[in-house]
Amino acid sequence: MSTISPADTLLSVRGLTASVDEKTILHGVDLDVAAGETHVIMGPNGAGKSTMGHVIMGDPVYSVNKGSIFFDGQDITNLSCDKRSRAGLFLSFQAPVEIPGVPLSSFLRATLAGRESLEMKGKQFRRRVTELARELNMDTAYLNRELGVGFSGGEKKKVEMLQLLLLQPKLAILDETDSGLDVDALGVVSRGMDAYRKSTDGSLVIITHNTRILEHLEVDRVHVMVNGRIVREDDASLIPWIDANGFDTFEREAAAQLAAERETANDAAPARDAAADAVRAAAAGLGAGMVQSLRATLDASGAADASANASADAR
Amino acid sequence: MDALVIKNANAMPAPTWSWLKMNDTKIAVPAGLERDCQVTIEAAKDLYEQHASFEGAVEELQGRVDAARGDAADDRAIIRAAQGADAGAADLDTPALSAYERRTALSQAAGDISADFETGVGRDARAYLNFLAGGTAVLATQPGDEVEARVNVAAAPGTSSSASVDIVAAPDSTFDLSISLDAACPAGQQAFAGSTLRVFAGARSHVNVTVYLTCGEGVTCVDDSGFVLDEDARVNVRHVVLGGAFTATGLAADLRGDRSRIDISTSYLGAGEDVRDFNYIVRHRGKKTECNLDANGVLTGTSKKILRGTIDLMHGAKGAQGNERETVLLANKGVDNKTIPMILCDEDDVAGNHGATIGHVRPEQLFYMGCRGLSEQQAETLFISAKLEDAALTAPTDEMRDAVVRLGRALVPDFEEEIA
Repeated sequence: MSTISPADTLLSVRGLTASVDEKTILHGVDLDVAAGETHVIMGPNGAGKSTMGHVIMGDPVYSVNKGSIFFDGQDITNLSCDKRSRAGLFLSFQAPVEIPGVPLSSFLRATLAGRESLEMKGKQFRRRVTELARELNMDTAYLNRELGVGFSGGEKKKVEMLQLLLLQPKLAILDETDSGLDVDALGVVSRGMDAYRKSTDGSLVIITHNTRILEHLEVDRVHVMVNGRIVREDDASLIPWIDANGFDTFEREAAAQLAAERETANDAAPARDAAADAVRAAAAGLGAGMVQSLRATLDASGAADASANASADAR
Repeated sequence: MDALVIKNANAMPAPTWSWLKMNDTKIAVPAGLERDCQVTIEAAKDLYEQHASFEGAVEELQGRVDAARGDAADDRAIIRAAQGADAGAADLDTPALSAYERRTALSQAAGDISADFETGVGRDARAYLNFLAGGTAVLATQPGDEVEARVNVAAAPGTSSSASVDIVAAPDSTFDLSISLDAACPAGQQAFAGSTLRVFAGARSHVNVTVYLTCGEGVTCVDDSGFVLDEDARVNVRHVVLGGAFTATGLAADLRGDRSRIDISTSYLGAGEDVRDFNYIVRHRGKKTECNLDANGVLTGTSKKILRGTIDLMHGAKGAQGNERETVLLANKGVDNKTIPMILCDEDDVAGNHGATIGHVRPEQLFYMGCRGLSEQQAETLFISAKLEDAALTAPTDEMRDAVVRLGRALVPDFEEEIA
């Protein structure tokens, strides 16, 4: 097993390209998350956000075609999902599955078995789980029911939060944990995330397109994903901007970039002009900081001159 | 000495294609076992002293049924066909009958409750179990009684053991019976444990029967029972089949009295190379009778299971309804699962429903469990453990709970700790 050097990078995704049924969903994605940081991945529907969470967790449905995933100094690209979990990764599901025949408490106990420092004796386990259930406003009667069977959407998400707090992973990916929840349930999820951060100082990668759940969180980094690519990265100041403007700008930018790349493949000079035109149009709705970032993106694709013009127009 | 083989056991009343090999089973009693009945029955002394008998109760019911039937002859074509010789061209309405139809028609014409009585595993198995038991314990109630009894059948390695019990529940009485077939016999050694039960549920009585099979790997188990229900009688049966290399569970019920009802709940686990064989036959003869068969199981390893469930809505059972459902989780690709839900009908105003949910653990479920640190093997163990845990927590007696825990310890590491 190979290792990477940066001591403070807990999760390092490099050039990750993944596909399902021969259709490429992720295109060369990079993502670095340091220990204790909270990252947010945002983007329109179908951008590939959930796929990224599942690929990082090792969902066998997806094939990793290129790139690598390092976690806590280890290359986990080819590890099975159960080993990734035991290494300290956690994925909270957007739509948690039902497992008939298995009571929730039995399931929870099985997930702790064999984990050093987390394994508990019967009474200790019951006390801890009851305590967490109360913290999450969850009826303890659910512990004796079959996992997920007949649970409301809100209860299922509470169960996800309960597992997050019980397993105390080093890094948790929360895949649209806020989707379909009413205000009260949203509050419970927020409390769960707070409790996780306070009790473990673990890292969070929150996949969402709803900024409301982020209101009480200290976010370190925001990544915007469109069409399977990270098209923008910034600090938490990007969140209110997205709240106000949505993802249209990024989608146009991504479309422009894609068009530029295609043109470049055929004819380098005309492609650069096309990209510049598209970017000029897109930049009309952007602030100066956004345009600066856009320029950086275009620098990388060799359209620096066009980008500079766009920037000037925007000002 | 060759093994004793009981043929045609757990047979379906109306067979399907023989090439499916599902119509019945063979029970091989291991050779060289010593007959050594280790049966204990815990029941109030009063229950032995009612001078009642299963046959007497059936005879009394027969009198009432005959009186209600009167002398009116049943001249339906199916009866004529079953009773008469071929009338040739003179009677073209007389239908050709299958062996099952002929038997049923003759049974209806005779209306003989005693002759119709059957048990689920079958006559030969019952005869063998009675032989092993050496005698039948008759437990009977007085009208209005509320009583309970426990039967425990144990078998040491190298021995065979069986209980034979008759229950006669008087009108308006309540009888709770628990039966445990529990022989801790490891693989490599052999034993046989069985039980045969006849129940007469009198008018408006409630009879609740719980049977736990928690035998070890080397044990062949046979749990045989037959019920006759009088008017408004209510019977609840719970079969929990967890252990034993080969188990045959058979139940037959005659819902003779109007508005009588039986609810059967079966919970089973097949692990390793276990074989689970079930046969349920419910005959609706009374009006507005009802039955519900509900089976829920987990199969792991390379275990095999067959469940036959026959609901027979017979002529005259107007307003009757029968339902059967099964949910099976196949936790390993090596298992062999067969289910035959069968609904027979010779009455217009009846309802019969059946449904089965049979499925392997889905990839998304495996991924979910994987995301929580469970490998495929650990997931399989979890299904076993959950089934055992449920059985332990709902066991009617401490002894039965202990038996489940003992079995659990053999199958799941730290099982005892899990339910502590």
